[in-house]
Amino acid sequence: MPSAAGIVLAGGRSSRMGTPKAALEWHGSTLLRRTVGILSRATGGPVVVVRAPGQALPALPPQTEVVDDPREGKGPVQGLAAGLAALAERADVAFVSSTDLPFLHPAFVRRVLRAVADGADVGLPVARGYPQPLAAAYRTTLAALAGRLVAQGRLRPAFLFDECEVARLDEAALRADPVVAALDPGLESVVNVNDPAGYAAARARPAPEVTIQLFGPMAGAAGRAQASRGPRAARAATVAGAAAAAGIELAGHVVAAVNGDQITRDGETPLATGDTVFFLAADAGG
Amino acid sequence: MAPGGYFGRALVVDAGSGAAHALPLPEAVLRAYIGGVGLGTWLLHRLAPEGADPLAPAAPLAFVFSPLVGTPLTTSAKFAVLAKSPLTGMLTDSLASSGFAIAGKLTGHDAIVVTGACDRPAALLVDGSGARLEDAADLWGLTAADATRRLRERLGRGWKVAAIGPAGERGVRYATISHDGRHAGRGGLGAVLGAKRVKAVAVRAATKVAPADPRAVLAAARDLRARSFGPATAKYREAGTLANLLAFNAIATLPARNFQEASFAEAPRLAAEDLSRMRQVARHGCASCTIGCEHIYAAPGNRAVRVEYENVFALGPLCGVSDPDAVLAASARCDELGLDTISAGGTIAWAMECAERGLIDAPWLRFGDAAALLRAIDQIGAREGIGDLLAEGSRRAAGRVGRGSLAFAPQVKGLELPGYEPRTMQAMALGLAVNARGADHNRSGAYEADLSGDHDRLAGGPAHAAAAVETEDRAAVMDSLILCKFLRGVFADPFGEWAALLSAVTGWRADGAELRRAGRRIVLAKRLFNLREGWRPQDDWLPERLLTEPVGLASGRTAALTPERLRAMIDAYYALRGLDGQGLPGQADLEDLLLPGPAPALE
Ligand code: SF4
Repeated sequence: MPSAAGIVLAGGRSSRMGTPKAALEWHGSTLLRRTVGILSRATGGPVVVVRAPGQALPALPPQTEVVDDPREGKGPVQGLAAGLAALAERADVAFVSSTDLPFLHPAFVRRVLRAVADGADVGLPVARGYPQPLAAAYRTTLAALAGRLVAQGRLRPAFLFDECEVARLDEAALRADPVVAALDPGLESVVNVNDPAGYAAARARPAPEVTIQLFGPMAGAAGRAQASRGPRAARAATVAGAAAAAGIELAGHVVAAVNGDQITRDGETPLATGDTVFFLAADAGG
Repeated sequence: MAPGGYFGRALVVDAGSGAAHALPLPEAVLRAYIGGVGLGTWLLHRLAPEGADPLAPAAPLAFVFSPLVGTPLTTSAKFAVLAKSPLTGMLTDSLASSGFAIAGKLTGHDAIVVTGACDRPAALLVDGSGARLEDAADLWGLTAADATRRLRERLGRGWKVAAIGPAGERGVRYATISHDGRHAGRGGLGAVLGAKRVKAVAVRAATKVAPADPRAVLAAARDLRARSFGPATAKYREAGTLANLLAFNAIATLPARNFQEASFAEAPRLAAEDLSRMRQVARHGCASCTIGCEHIYAAPGNRAVRVEYENVFALGPLCGVSDPDAVLAASARCDELGLDTISAGGTIAWAMECAERGLIDAPWLRFGDAAALLRAIDQIGAREGIGDLLAEGSRRAAGRVGRGSLAFAPQVKGLELPGYEPRTMQAMALGLAVNARGADHNRSGAYEADLSGDHDRLAGGPAHAAAAVETEDRAAVMDSLILCKFLRGVFADPFGEWAALLSAVTGWRADGAELRRAGRRIVLAKRLFNLREGWRPQDDWLPERLLTEPVGLASGRTAALTPERLRAMIDAYYALRGLDGQGLPGQADLEDLLLPGPAPALE
């Protein structure tokens, strides 16, 4: 598999929203923090945030890389060029996302990335009625082409697609992935929040349905109630939310692992539908 | 006059002649090496003839106490046992706890070193009137627990006994020395004592030792005691180390079926979370310990067995066995024979894979077969049948079997791997590769970094090397003071706080920087001992399987550790330790080690 990474384009004007979208709260985190976390989880690689020059960003994990758009307001291809250039040495393919996709699911990201692994330069979902260039996968070698288009003033993604091999992924192709079909059947990964009404609607939706499992002292091995152990369902959009649902504190000697993958103490680590969150003792002496 | 907490001398006993003499321990050496594992390393440099076979009479075995032993500081009643390992041919240093540490030190010595060999089975007794050997022919063949019981009946009150079981007598290369049901377990120290025909060492307190500042020590003891009841030790108190099993299974760090997999579908059958409810009969602690991490379970045959993560991992998932009765029985049997459970399980798991591949003639030895596991343990203890081969450990056995079986022998430097999957814990992978004792989770605590959330545990790099150095240095200091590593989480400023404890006991004005240097010095001195005994750069490496076969995670990702990545981490580790590209120290470091003789070099 080619090595993958993430790019979040955070520099849009958010003019219809009237306030910077990156910092909007959604179930205990910000939209940008959530998107960065989902891409980090789905790609297992670095994540680059492209922002407008000097743009203030909400708190992000320390390893997140931030690059500035060379000039403000030039549109997504310029941000794409900057992000791809930042990653060109370290990743073969990047999932490029806008910052306003609260329902973006890691399974969707992985499915789209696979289109590039299969040989295309771009994996372009066509879902919920539109092509989705800001929820798509791009080969990082496209950085030069994107840069050239910007220099020529050809600022729309369609110009880029004209000059490379694009795998269009329609809804059937996306849902043919059994994990996508199970966890994001409505392809809500591409639903963005554009205006206050859309944001209000997104906030009204419950947090993702996840499973929580506690181990060691949290599970009460020394004879606490059976009910405190074993997997159980909860609604949580972040690891901190899951910890709160389980009645434990994610701090000091307690760590979490989402789906048994990376270990984290970062409460803002995003959760998506179908995730299992393990809470375990950080003290692993044996 | 010796500093507080010390006697300033080691007792060196020749088991051949029965003669004993006191070896003065200069204050500079005590301050540089502290005690326990550190002081023991210095003693081996001083007393072990270069190149001596570990099972030869000339090879010394040292019981080493520490300045904190005998104080009210929680978890301090520990002793270290060191020798050149018959399993690795390099230094091995194991710890055990309880009354032997206190009585041994209060014989008036900071260490008791046994050299030579008896003609007949003997017990070595040390008390205020010095050392003497007593005939122990009647104890030969007994389990360590039975031998201890009988010897204490004979000797009367006040004696504390460390003994070997039948495996040590028969030279099983991973035999243990046990005291009070706990084992100085790794590296075959029991075989070294067995080769000297010393069945047991008995000690009786004869004197006292005062700390320099008793009030400060008492205040520190109260403070530590309070902290030892906090969240940092909850896992050990409430669930015991077995709590690792189900959690490690969930995050694919539980090696199974000889490291062919990193999780075990039947792990819940062996989990503390459920097993403790059904079978736990008691909870104990070592002497002077307020944590009490020993969870005692009922094993078949009315036996009680101390259950630790490592026994259950090695005799359960690693061998594909999920029947809790079988795993507890196997663990109890290893205790009786005096076998290191990790090496026993690792070697048997390797043999199961060999049998599956048709490389050895033991068709009965199958993964998951509980009866086969128990039979193999008995044969190892008796050195009968295939047990004679397996008693050599997986590396030597693979050397004999050949046909590619070394690639999946689960060992580093000959010491079998503990239950921390290196491919999904890549800081730990480095720690296991470079540690002087071999694949070991007590001298390298790099898994702390993997589970901290601060590092990508699936992609080792320079940050992981820094964590491996830091945790190794901390372990070296804790193992020399000695404090139990299960207490480590309560220290916010470990080196500084340890320096304060050491200063209160000894009267020195040590600070955190001094203890950091001591940790580094001790790690380096061990490396130097190994170099002297034939270490080669390729010994700092991992088994081929771990570098060529990826493992899967529940998330669907695969984890792989490549030779290039491991090489890069080792190079970074060497650089941080001031070693050259081959892992050799520079002259300035050597001068700081206060070691006798010229610096060893690569041949
Ligand atoms: S924590 Fe456990 S191993 Fe450590 S001293 Fe206490 S009882 Fe012994």
